[in-house]
Amino acid sequence: MIQLFKVCKSYGTNKALDDINLRMRKGEFVFITGPSGAGKTTLLRIIFGTARPTSGQILIDGINLSRISRLKLDLLRRKIGFVFQDFKLLNSKTIFQNVALALEVTGERPGIIRKKTHQALRAVGLSGKEKAFPLELSGGEQQRVAIARAIINEPMILVADEPTGNLDPDITKEIMVLFRSVNLRGTTLVIATHNRELLKDTGQRIIALDKGRVIEERIG
Amino acid sequence: MIIRLWIYFFRSAFSNILNNPLIHLISIGTITISMLLFGAFMLLSMNLNNWIREWGESLSMSIYLKDGVDEKAKKEIESAIKKFKGAEIKGFITKDQAMINLKEGLGEQAGLLEGLEEMALPESFEIIFKDRSDNSVDPKLIKSSLEKMKGVDEVQYSQQWIERFEGVMDMFRVVGLAIGGLLCVAVLFIISNTIKLTIYSRRDEIEIYKLMGATDWFVKIPFLIEGATQGLLSGIAALVMLNLAYSVISLKAINLFGLPVINIAFLSVQGSIFIICLSLVLGVAGGFISIGRFFKS
Repeated sequence: MIQLFKVCKSYGTNKALDDINLRMRKGEFVFITGPSGAGKTTLLRIIFGTARPTSGQILIDGINLSRISRLKLDLLRRKIGFVFQDFKLLNSKTIFQNVALALEVTGERPGIIRKKTHQALRAVGLSGKEKAFPLELSGGEQQRVAIARAIINEPMILVADEPTGNLDPDITKEIMVLFRSVNLRGTTLVIATHNRELLKDTGQRIIALDKGRVIEERIG
Repeated sequence: MIIRLWIYFFRSAFSNILNNPLIHLISIGTITISMLLFGAFMLLSMNLNNWIREWGESLSMSIYLKDGVDEKAKKEIESAIKKFKGAEIKGFITKDQAMINLKEGLGEQAGLLEGLEEMALPESFEIIFKDRSDNSVDPKLIKSSLEKMKGVDEVQYSQQWIERFEGVMDMFRVVGLAIGGLLCVAVLFIISNTIKLTIYSRRDEIEIYKLMGATDWFVKIPFLIEGATQGLLSGIAALVMLNLAYSVISLKAINLFGLPVINIAFLSVQGSIFIICLSLVLGVAGGFISIGRFFKS
């Protein structure tokens, strides 16, 4: 599903990623961990296509991201959900509108958008909050909205960057349960975190980065 | 799906205009003033052109006589005039009549002529050539032929004025084009900056749209519609204001220095459509400039 070959990424003289070779299978649940500045976010951005590697190749579902046109990249992104640490919700839009946005950009029929948006909000336990605005919700609820928006297109890959970074332990557990349920439906999950608690007894693959290099791969 | 997308684009553009009414009103107002100036220039230029064309279609000529010309010479001149094809003598202006005409022409300033009663204005024949459609009348040739006759002092014809005036008109056209060009650049600048402001106020939204997989055109089209709407509304507002000004001032006919009457007409349908289309095109172009710059950066 995701393949990286000798991927390097530099910002000026600073090497964010150095010679990364990785392979993630369809339906796999992978944690990327490491200290701040290890290259976790850069790796996720490269997988999502918002950053281009300085050298190396990335294949997503057999498509080489370095040879893809801008339009095709936009279309591919519809198959990849992204959950951000800061949620990236539009505060001027309702919860329903925020989630529906991911389908609106695809030109989907309004009836289907309504139906799928309600389903996605139900899946993350936010039925009844459709008309609320993001700032009226707690941090955990806002993250659920972000997850609902990321899964509404039934993506083949879901990428999450520190999705529980701003949340308390109880809500973190709830969010992780939600991610597992998404993974059980066949979506490949890649989650970046520096939260060691989150990695305990997961039974999932953990890739540790430091200074832009893979230093360890293990099952948690 | 295409219709659905366009409904979405229009809804998105109009809701953005309604969400930022002040900035759009200021922009539309400024563009309206620019287009109003542009339209006023067009109106003025069109009417002056029409006036010159109408004037040129009939040729009038004044044959000034030397002082003390006897009746016999006058008769010879009169018969010579009648020999020219299409020539019609409108009248013979005596010295007294010439003074009366001058006083009438000066109007309130006629007092300037007090004490100049003795000033000898020349007698003249006023002639007109009708139907010059076959271009058989050559005013220059007639002028030189009449000026050779005994008793004729000078011959002046209306086209001399037209020729001089056409030079002024050419200059007017060049100045008009330059001002029109500058106004277009100003409109482009205003629209592109207004849209740039709305783009920057919505950059987070654009970023999220792009992260969700929106294509560039999906993001760009609502902004282009915004620009087009601004241009269209400004063009219509400018035309309405120009028409109102035309009706209120109601200078339908101007008599200038005794020259043929200028019948002021409003812009033709094509002229009006041109202003609206120009405004619309400038709106879309302004949108293109700002959104293009944003995507580049």
